Amino acid sequence: MAPTKQAPTRQAITLKGSTNLVTEFFKFAANTILFQRGVYPADDFHMVKKYGQTVLVTQDLALENYLDKILKQVNKWLLTGSVTQLVLAIISKDSRTTLERWVFDINLVEQPADSSEPPHRAPAKPEAEIQAEIRNILKQIVSTVTFLPVIDEPTVFNILAYTSDSADIPADEWVDTDPLAIEASKSQQVKLRSFSTDVHRIEAMVAYRYEG
Amino acid sequence: MSHKPKTPSRHRSRSEAKTPLTPSLTAGLNSLSLAIPTQVSPSKPRADASFNPFLSSRPGSPTRRATSRPASPIKRATSGAIQVSESLQRQASLGVIRKGGVESRLDVITRDYVPPPKSEKKRSKSQPTRDTRDRFITTRDTTDEVTATLDMMSLNPQSSSPGHTSRLAAAAGVPLNRRVLAYHEPPPASSSDPLLAQARELVRPLYARPGALATSTSTTTSKGRKIATQPERVLDAPGMVDDYYLNLVAWSSLNTLAVALAESTYLWRADTGEVTQMGEAPEGTYVASVDFSNDGQFLGVGLGMGAVELWDIETQTKLRTMGGHSTQVACLSWHQHLLTSGCGDGSIWHHDVRVARHKVGELVGHQGEVCGLKWRSDGELLASGGNDNVVNVWDGRVGDVTPGSRSAARWTKRNHVAAVKAIAWCPWQPALLASGGGTSDATVHIWNTTTGARLHSLTTPSQVTSIQWSPHKKEFLTTHGYPTNSLMIHAYPSMERVVEIRDAHDSRVLWSALGPGGDLVCTGAGDENLKFWRVWEMPKPKKGKDAKEGSRMGTGSTSSGILSIR
Repeated sequence: MAPTKQAPTRQAITLKGSTNLVTEFFKFAANTILFQRGVYPADDFHMVKKYGQTVLVTQDLALENYLDKILKQVNKWLLTGSVTQLVLAIISKDSRTTLERWVFDINLVEQPADSSEPPHRAPAKPEAEIQAEIRNILKQIVSTVTFLPVIDEPTVFNILAYTSDSADIPADEWVDTDPLAIEASKSQQVKLRSFSTDVHRIEAMVAYRYEG
Repeated sequence: MSHKPKTPSRHRSRSEAKTPLTPSLTAGLNSLSLAIPTQVSPSKPRADASFNPFLSSRPGSPTRRATSRPASPIKRATSGAIQVSESLQRQASLGVIRKGGVESRLDVITRDYVPPPKSEKKRSKSQPTRDTRDRFITTRDTTDEVTATLDMMSLNPQSSSPGHTSRLAAAAGVPLNRRVLAYHEPPPASSSDPLLAQARELVRPLYARPGALATSTSTTTSKGRKIATQPERVLDAPGMVDDYYLNLVAWSSLNTLAVALAESTYLWRADTGEVTQMGEAPEGTYVASVDFSNDGQFLGVGLGMGAVELWDIETQTKLRTMGGHSTQVACLSWHQHLLTSGCGDGSIWHHDVRVARHKVGELVGHQGEVCGLKWRSDGELLASGGNDNVVNVWDGRVGDVTPGSRSAARWTKRNHVAAVKAIAWCPWQPALLASGGGTSDATVHIWNTTTGARLHSLTTPSQVTSIQWSPHKKEFLTTHGYPTNSLMIHAYPSMERVVEIRDAHDSRVLWSALGPGGDLVCTGAGDENLKFWRVWEMPKPKKGKDAKEGSRMGTGSTSSGILSIR
């Protein structure tokens, strides 16, 4: 529309920058979910200022390292564009049934092949706008407790990565697994907001077991 | 079953033959034939119907169909198509087999209600312009890919084995080019042990340390007053028992401080700094409480065995021992000749120290140990706090109570949620009583004892171990236990914190006693120290009468010069 509007000094976000942004978002989203859904005790979390709001982040070292290891690999996959979906499944500790699936779809935004900047291409998205979108998703995750069924049993979580077949997978660290699906007849789904950088578009959704 | 002969399957097969009207429906029926083979072969249903009880309802339906046939043959066909396509539709919505002839057409039918893509596009375009950030509106305008993948995930609701699901998914070719991966090790187990969590909840007040205070040796309050945050004097008190329930410090009106260290009682004369060991408790017991009579001539000593001793300060001799209590007497309070003792079994006794049969009254109102006991200065009311979290106020008129008779509390308050040790009567407004609760309560309540109303409440960071009202100022002092071990001065009635002296002792501050001048406060703690704090200033004598009175008492201000002797 108006390419002149774009500040000439500001560079469009790179794949690497976008990847880091997305990875960071996953970190905070996962922490928020784990806190909100009570997978880990609330006093394991402390408040951190992020995206212009306070986010609760775990201070349990083991969990921190675990998430870091996962996100490091996700970061690699994002760079190669081989991960298409990340799922955080909340599973009942005793019955091992999946109670909730938090699904984050990762789509690569189509980039025009040439750099001649065709007129239809959207101008680079300002960082503030991206952050606002991320903030909205996190807020939505917080607000989902209002309708998600109350979990009153001990739970564990698992993070699944949907990758392309050609993805480079560290052999002994990542294993093929069951999708931990919730039966269609007993599942309700709520689509959450999405956010996008110039490179990635993340769509969030939560599916939860609801037998009523 | 009775209908069966009336409805030969030929009817049905004929009706089937008639229904195909449009090519798309033919296609639909083609798929129908794949899904429900019984309707295709005319001979089979008959044989089945006669034997299979599950098909018994089936012969009825053709009759209905036959009657309704002219009305809506298309409807039936479409409904048939929907029925069939359930599985196909799922695949179709995945966009997997979109290009297939039959499925794509079925797709068209089932998606009839879907708004045309044009309007959809419009909506998605207009979406960003509308600012709906503060609202929780789920975005449904984007592609249904996410939903579709979820459908894909739950291809087979009945399957219990994950292997089957994945095989099925693979067979259906659904997860195109996809692998579902998980990290090889499970996430760390959550430490949410319910027992542990409960225990944590209980000890939380001990660790919930409030934010740090400015470090300085004195604090200037909002009123411009300077209060030293360092003690004026520290006395060593070796062997002082670190027990919340005991009351081991008392300061007399003759400026003598009595301190009980395990089984011995010491007197420290503030005027001269002279220390004397007054006496020892009998073998096998310890001193649980000390209190001076109002004139400062006598000291009541409560023992761990339950006896109450009366000592003369002047001669430092024991005058008498008053037995009767079964367990430790952890608090004492004097009113003239009446020494009132609170016992571990919850009973409160009045001892008339002048008469041989000393027990002149018993007050029973506590279920737990009596931790706090204070007479009002005029002797009209007696306040007691117990380990049962109760505050009782008793009528002070003892009358000619025969031993064994019991009286009831004037009123009882159960607002505290922990033991009530800190009890103090306000010297300048006789109706006011302050009471403070233990660790899990940590609250000071101020009561109007005339009406029984709770006037103010103040939540403090830790257990309240004692309260002292200032005789000259509209303020009161509280001492606290873990984790702050602090002294706090609060203004009344605003309940504002005037000053907080953090870490006044290395251990919880357990006892406090106000000097006769009303300016010095002595605190004792489990760290075996006695500390003297000059928290309030003496009012300057304005009238001659006041000055004369001060000089007559000879103790007016407990000056630092006197204190420095030792």
